[in-house]
Amino acid sequence: MHEGELDPVIHAQARLRVMAALSTLDDGDQVTFPRLQEILGMTAGNLSAHLRKLEDAGYVDLTKKFSGRMPTTLVALSRRGRHAFEEYTAAVRALLDPPK
Amino acid sequence: MTNDLTNDERPPATPADSMRLIREQRAAAGRRLFPSQLYFLVPWGLAWLIGFGLFFLRYGPNDRTYLSMPGWLPLVALLGLLGVSMVISAVASARAYRHMAGPSALKGAMYGWAFFLGFLSLGVSIARVSDELPPNDQGLLWAAASVALVGALHMAGGAVWHDKSLFALGVWLSLVNVAGVIAGPGWHSLVIALAGGGGLLAFGAVLAVRRRTWLAEPV
Repeated sequence: MHEGELDPVIHAQARLRVMAALSTLDDGDQVTFPRLQEILGMTAGNLSAHLRKLEDAGYVDLTKKFSGRMPTTLVALSRRGRHAFEEYTAAVRALLDPPK
Repeated sequence: MTNDLTNDERPPATPADSMRLIREQRAAAGRRLFPSQLYFLVPWGLAWLIGFGLFFLRYGPNDRTYLSMPGWLPLVALLGLLGVSMVISAVASARAYRHMAGPSALKGAMYGWAFFLGFLSLGVSIARVSDELPPNDQGLLWAAASVALVGALHMAGGAVWHDKSLFALGVWLSLVNVAGVIAGPGWHSLVIALAGGGGLLAFGAVLAVRRRTWLAEPV
């Protein structure tokens, strides 16, 4: 296993950060877009673009919710995304500490 | 703007950078999404320690008074401290769950209602019969029934969140409550103050250490 085999969807600084942040949520739990944006310190446009790419890869689920009159987007890792992130993390660990 | 996007697209320079990014981001998210349980446990622990402590000092075993104070003070202090704890818990919960949705948020909401309605039904029931009892036993009934309910709710919470230490706290509170009741009215207050309040504070310390460990090594 070498660096070239790391999942290219995740293996980009911004998207890795998005996946890492979302991975702290339990299965089924979602975070609002504004809160996620705040945690990551990205602009709304920037985060939207990264989420769209991750959604296209099937790694995140975006749901629109209407709380009162304000629509808000809820974000969560999909099951596939969670597996992909776990595999990415395991691969990185293996690169850092190769099994003998 | 385009420059940001280009930088963002770049892969982390080394595997070590990847791991560092993962760790840092998970810790940052964890810190923001899951506030410390100390907000819950310290107020309640202190409320029990101080409130029941005052009860012991004013209404001690065999009707002894160890520290003279107005007769109404222990109850007012206890209820006041519990009220403050309730507000702090509610605010901390709201701030944590406001930006989340899903099973965890639902669990938290249901658990909160369990406390509220549980105490409402307990309070109404006891209020109806407590006048029949001698004064010392009235106080004991209120205290013991409340602690019993809190113990049960903590054990249930352990079941809901698959948390053995939360369950253990509930067991501890229940056993301590039984021991206190058997010992009698004045002693019950002391037992709940030290072992109950102390138990809550100790559990808070356990959770604080657990959180710090996780934040340092979040993956």
